[in-house]
Amino acid sequence: MSPTLQYAAFFTLAALILIPALFVVVSRNIVRAALWLCACLVSVAVLFLVLGAEFLAAIQVLLYIGGIMVLLLFALLMTRRIGEPDVRVVNRQVGWALLGCAALASVLFWMLRGERWPVARVAADGSPAAMADALLRPFVLPFEVASLLLLAAMIAAIVIARQEPGE
Amino acid sequence: MNAIPLTWYLMLAALLFVIGLFGVLTRRHAIGALLGVELMLNAVNINLLAFWRHLHGTASAQVFVLIIITVAAAEAAVGLALILNVYRVFHTVDVDEINLMKG
Repeated sequence: MSPTLQYAAFFTLAALILIPALFVVVSRNIVRAALWLCACLVSVAVLFLVLGAEFLAAIQVLLYIGGIMVLLLFALLMTRRIGEPDVRVVNRQVGWALLGCAALASVLFWMLRGERWPVARVAADGSPAAMADALLRPFVLPFEVASLLLLAAMIAAIVIARQEPGE
Repeated sequence: MNAIPLTWYLMLAALLFVIGLFGVLTRRHAIGALLGVELMLNAVNINLLAFWRHLHGTASAQVFVLIIITVAAAEAAVGLALILNVYRVFHTVDVDEINLMKG
């Protein structure tokens, strides 16, 4: 693929990530914001594919969009009436937040602009086989800790969200 | 896409992180703040995978991203359970009105 085409593809993908992300934070209707987050997550999965991590792209779609987003939408349905636009979506510190975020973005850009990375030209192995090898040999302890964390989170969520019989 | 420099990926991730941070700081709806947190976690994942693609060929970054997605799932489950419980007690999820501990 020619460099010009690659630049065009990258900027299209960046727009497909950043524009839904903007709508996630400014949309007046919280359900629409959640649906915009779905669009943003799909674009991020495409970016993972572009970077050569096809297994993680699949995990991103399965876990984020199939799991976390459905959970978020369920919680939205349980906590507010649908179709009712929020009166005021942002709190009083919006000016300071905008200022702080703009400052952080400029500092990050200023730092990244002058940095020269020791870029390696070897193709990284993104196959599921290489990842499974890493997950079950050097990273087997974090893998088991993650499963324990998921169990603890599941029990905690059930205990916290359960309605007491007396209430 | 070999013509894209690493810095561009990092700038994209930085922008996504800042947008998510803005959402966390300004949303009045508690679940809206959680949506911002998800955006920030995704920015971190883009960063890790861009470094993985351009600097080293080892699979450790991919394992990191997998564990971050796992932690995000756990965070969403516990956070939403907390929000449901708050809604049951206060009948609102507006974080400005949940100020019982404000002196």
